[in-house]
Amino acid sequence: MTDLKESGFKSYLDESGLETIKLNDLQQTKLLDGETTVSTANNVMLFNTLSDKKKGTYGILTVTTFKLSFACASDNGLDNFHQQNLLLGMNDICLSSIATIYQTGERTKKKLIPGQNISGKIKELLIICKNMRSFEFSFKDSEKDGGKTTANALIHHAYPKRHSLLFAYDYLEPYVKSPQLAKEVTMFRKKEDWSRELRRTKCENWRISDLNQNYQTSPYLTQSLIVPLSISDFSLIKSVEHFNNRFCPVWVWGTAKGAALVRMADLLPAISDSKYENELFEHIRKSHPDLKQPIIINLNCISSKDVQASYLKLRDICVPDSSRMFKRQDFKLYGLLDNSKWLALVSTCLGFAVEAADCLHKKVTTVVLQEGNGQDTNCIISSLCQIILDPYFRTKPGFQSLIQKEWVSLGHPFAYRLGHIHDKDVETAPFFLLFLDCVWQLQLQHPAAFQFSETYLTTLWDSAHITLFDTFIFNNDHQRMMAESGTTNGASKLVLRSIWDWREQFSESDLIFFANPLYQDNYQQILEVKHGISSLEIWSQCYFRWLPELEIKNGGRPVLDLYNRILVNEILNLRHGQADANGRYLKNIDEQMDLLKKVNSFFPFSHNLFGQTSASSNIFLSSDVLDTQSVFNLTTE
Amino acid sequence: MFYSFRNYTGELMVIGNMLEMEENHFPKSNLPFVDTKASTLSKQDNAIWGKTSPSKSYGSSSSTSTENVVSTLERKNATSREVNNTDDPPLLPGEKVASQSRDVTYLCPYDGPCRGILTITNFKLYFRPVDKDTPNLIDVPLGVVSRIEKVGGASSRGENAYGIDIFCKDMRNLRFAHKQENHSRRDVFGHLQQFAFPLSHKLKFFAFEYAENFPENGWSVYEPIAELKRMGVNNDMWKISKINDQYDICDSYPAIWAVPAQANDDDIKSVAAFRSRGRVPVLSWIHTESQATITRCSQPLVGVSVKRCREDERYIQLIMDANAQSHKMFIMDARPSANAMANRAKGGGYESEDAYQNAELVFLDVHNIHVMRESLRKLKELCYPSIDETKWLSGLESTYWLKHIKCILTGAVRIVDKVENHKTSVLVHCSDGWDRTAQLTALSMLLLDPYYRTIKGFEVLIEKEWLSFGHKFQQRIGHGDDHHSDADRSPVFLQFIDCVWQITQQFPNAFEFNDYFLITILDHLYSCRFGTFLCNSDRERVQEKVKEQTISLWSYTNSQLDLYKNPLYYDNNHLQRVLMPVASIRHIKLWKAYYCRWNLSMRTQDPVYQRIRELLKLKSQLEQQVEISKKEQQSRISRSNASPA
Repeated sequence: MTDLKESGFKSYLDESGLETIKLNDLQQTKLLDGETTVSTANNVMLFNTLSDKKKGTYGILTVTTFKLSFACASDNGLDNFHQQNLLLGMNDICLSSIATIYQTGERTKKKLIPGQNISGKIKELLIICKNMRSFEFSFKDSEKDGGKTTANALIHHAYPKRHSLLFAYDYLEPYVKSPQLAKEVTMFRKKEDWSRELRRTKCENWRISDLNQNYQTSPYLTQSLIVPLSISDFSLIKSVEHFNNRFCPVWVWGTAKGAALVRMADLLPAISDSKYENELFEHIRKSHPDLKQPIIINLNCISSKDVQASYLKLRDICVPDSSRMFKRQDFKLYGLLDNSKWLALVSTCLGFAVEAADCLHKKVTTVVLQEGNGQDTNCIISSLCQIILDPYFRTKPGFQSLIQKEWVSLGHPFAYRLGHIHDKDVETAPFFLLFLDCVWQLQLQHPAAFQFSETYLTTLWDSAHITLFDTFIFNNDHQRMMAESGTTNGASKLVLRSIWDWREQFSESDLIFFANPLYQDNYQQILEVKHGISSLEIWSQCYFRWLPELEIKNGGRPVLDLYNRILVNEILNLRHGQADANGRYLKNIDEQMDLLKKVNSFFPFSHNLFGQTSASSNIFLSSDVLDTQSVFNLTTE
Repeated sequence: MFYSFRNYTGELMVIGNMLEMEENHFPKSNLPFVDTKASTLSKQDNAIWGKTSPSKSYGSSSSTSTENVVSTLERKNATSREVNNTDDPPLLPGEKVASQSRDVTYLCPYDGPCRGILTITNFKLYFRPVDKDTPNLIDVPLGVVSRIEKVGGASSRGENAYGIDIFCKDMRNLRFAHKQENHSRRDVFGHLQQFAFPLSHKLKFFAFEYAENFPENGWSVYEPIAELKRMGVNNDMWKISKINDQYDICDSYPAIWAVPAQANDDDIKSVAAFRSRGRVPVLSWIHTESQATITRCSQPLVGVSVKRCREDERYIQLIMDANAQSHKMFIMDARPSANAMANRAKGGGYESEDAYQNAELVFLDVHNIHVMRESLRKLKELCYPSIDETKWLSGLESTYWLKHIKCILTGAVRIVDKVENHKTSVLVHCSDGWDRTAQLTALSMLLLDPYYRTIKGFEVLIEKEWLSFGHKFQQRIGHGDDHHSDADRSPVFLQFIDCVWQITQQFPNAFEFNDYFLITILDHLYSCRFGTFLCNSDRERVQEKVKEQTISLWSYTNSQLDLYKNPLYYDNNHLQRVLMPVASIRHIKLWKAYYCRWNLSMRTQDPVYQRIRELLKLKSQLEQQVEISKKEQQSRISRSNASPA
């Protein structure tokens, strides 16, 4: 088969690359305050994805203490089609996003092992990122040792062994917390956050215990724990001993009718007597207004090994290393997808969440989620269950608070699971991605239910690997507290920067795409969820966006999305214009249509648009219009 | 009322609208199965349904009905004629009840057995549950039936072991149990056989009995000369030829074609002799700017001895010369090369590049009708009656269905690339040029020309590339004959519609029609209610007087266009003339709204479209308000001007 795109490609493989590359200020690699350069290589070629090393762009490749940066002349920095991160350029990635580094040759592919020292010549490097992106560089025309220096810099800086080596500790830029942040998220670090949640859900028979004040009971949990009203701290302190991570049953959410959602770990492996567990279950039962027995859902069937193995297979499907492999995969894609078991995992998670939600809602029965450490699959199921039942968690502030509550505060070990810290004994596994994928499936099934868009979810996954924010770099809140107070070994005091302060990363024109134009805030209370694999789909924006071959020109979901934005914008304009009825609202529709015609299917993550004319400024991208109240809030009378 | 269909990016809408419109025909009291909320809408009398104003069609908003679409569709049929006795099914004009049996049990694979009354008419099978609240109202046109079998005999014991199995062409099976002592089965079986397979019983198709009046006449949708004129033919290079006026050059071609202006009648006759079944290369589409063309034909009769035909070679050269932009052309052979070669043994084959100097031959790897039939059989097994979730993905893989769809789409994209980006003419053929060729030319035209993406344009496309150029609908579908395992049957047209659906998924605002339009076409592909898909060729349709004696499907669709409109469509000819879908399996999905629609477990509601429709409704309300206040303001001004100061 001949390559259809052949004619459309511009070849950069010409002699001009051999000269020194001249870059303007915009194109050059920029350093953040506190960031230092580790290595620089000139005249490096970045191959185009799936071009089989035949096409590429020359540029300067820099490794810093924070990122890998490729600066080239074709990056005009003025591209409205691509989300622009204020901290990272279009071809920059945070070192923590790097999953694997390969030394490649004509037919060889050798994985570089962290801790290794490379002494030989390196001609080509292939870098696979955790968010399914890949880079392939050639050092053929670069200075002598350019490849080797880069490779060594990467192996030594991309796999930190100690937490204090993460860039967050070195970042010097003063941080002024956005005043809006408090409205955007509840952190669930303070006692009043928990008591407010308790009040919001109108749950009685539960109380906040200070047992874990100063993390004296368990460093893996947050300081304020909500426990059954009937149990005293004195008896709790005895029971806690017997659970992994001392994760005793903790209330996280409840229905107004009194059914509670409770999370806990398994008993310690050495304990065979379930006496302590039963005692606590009895207290949980007593907290139910009808004294109903709780239902225990055991979640040990999803292990971190399963999740990681599945994710790696999924990544293979998303990062083909040659056009031949791409075609081969295309030939048996559904088989490969089946073999990866990723959708099976998504289906299992959604299934558990539906089961738990049914118990809570239909049976008005308390649900206890139990799992080994209580902090992996529990986070997914607990969050999903609350999204299904509580519309608040489908708003952006609600969703962000949910992640704070279920993941950050109750100690999902992000530093390990996302591989921020490199350690042989640590199991990496993207539970968080699995969760986001589940949420995406819910969005797909209920397009009007969520205040945020799929672009928001994709961006969240990307951001989880930026080690400048504190949200996703710690294993638990105790570690965060230590870092904040400067008591982490050999590290300076860490300034906490929340990922939810999105303006640190993006400007308004990008944040606008976090809002879902179809959102309806009076949407059905409880989501009906189809969780069979046949009802699920592959999250193409998140997984396939780095493969330009797959980008549909002027097509795909963004066309729909933009159309909806225009529609909502027109409605808002009509409302505003109604008072004077002068018809001015029709202005700029043509302009908007103009953008619509240029948008491709991976917008705002399109990567094959070098040379495409940038969009004209668009009023409907301004945030006051769409951020993000439902237009249905205003009724038409 | 709105009843929605599962889907995220592009299908069925306004089912409720349809209901509303059809209800307008009848006095409220006679409507069976319509809930009170819906029937309050039906105050108006007959005959205005084509004229319902668009704004009215939005009905009540934000209803998240738990109704499923099928019962809605069934209800729609149920409400489509006036009925007096509630046990009688609603009848179409020309439809007659043949038999009615009480105490029959429908064995629903989802809800279990369900007792009711089974009626057979000369058009349909109609089952009314005794318990009126169950959703199991069944209304199946008998044209859909592929096979009928008796289950159980006199010795059968046990509940529901004695009855009839019905296998359908539209991805479902039905089983009805009869009580032996009632002796109802024989009668039902006989009538089913008779009306499902009229050909085998020397009876006429229902289409010839059906007599409904529509405000639109679908038979006038496609006028071959007007369509050629639309593309600028006649012109310097192409002319309209009536050489096949009597269908004696090629009996499977229409009476009117366009051929290179330089080709004389003798040339054409010689070419016809060299092409399988006389199917000479004729014009399908011409690029009005570049003059690059898509032409279609059958394989050359090369045979083992590799025969040549000077006239054919010259004729192909004329097609190439007709496009001044390029000194080359492509011959796209839809088949896998091995199949093309194997055809030589049977006297067929493919053009050698030696003989056709400036032509490049490309094989597109689309498999034959037998492979496709087998693939669909597997797909039906996968989707109906139950889905094994754990084997869904591997099962989908093993049907190869999506892979075939991908192949066809890839072929079309390659043709479009040559015509559009390289300004080169393309000649398409397979073996006979009426299956894979029709898929490829029709899809390429759909991608190249926005006209075909409108509702009427799409009807023209089907009339032209499929019907007039002799896709053998009669054989491929097996209308009215009981040879269910006939090797000539194949889902070729279904694949084409699937490909169209795939393209609508990738370009959600490029099509005027929605997926309900596509499903309607497929439903009536089998129903035999309309004459459109009867017979194998134009010649046969003329002989059978199909136009004179039956109603066109397009009369029906064009009389209720609002049902089929895509709310996202905007006339973007100048923005997006050519569509280039990405033909990767990574984008190709199973069309669950069609293939799984009888599987109750697969139905969900609330597609993105329902929400968009609500927004559109809101917008039009607001626009009206603005309009009103504008008028008020003007009248105030004129009043104040008129009144003396």
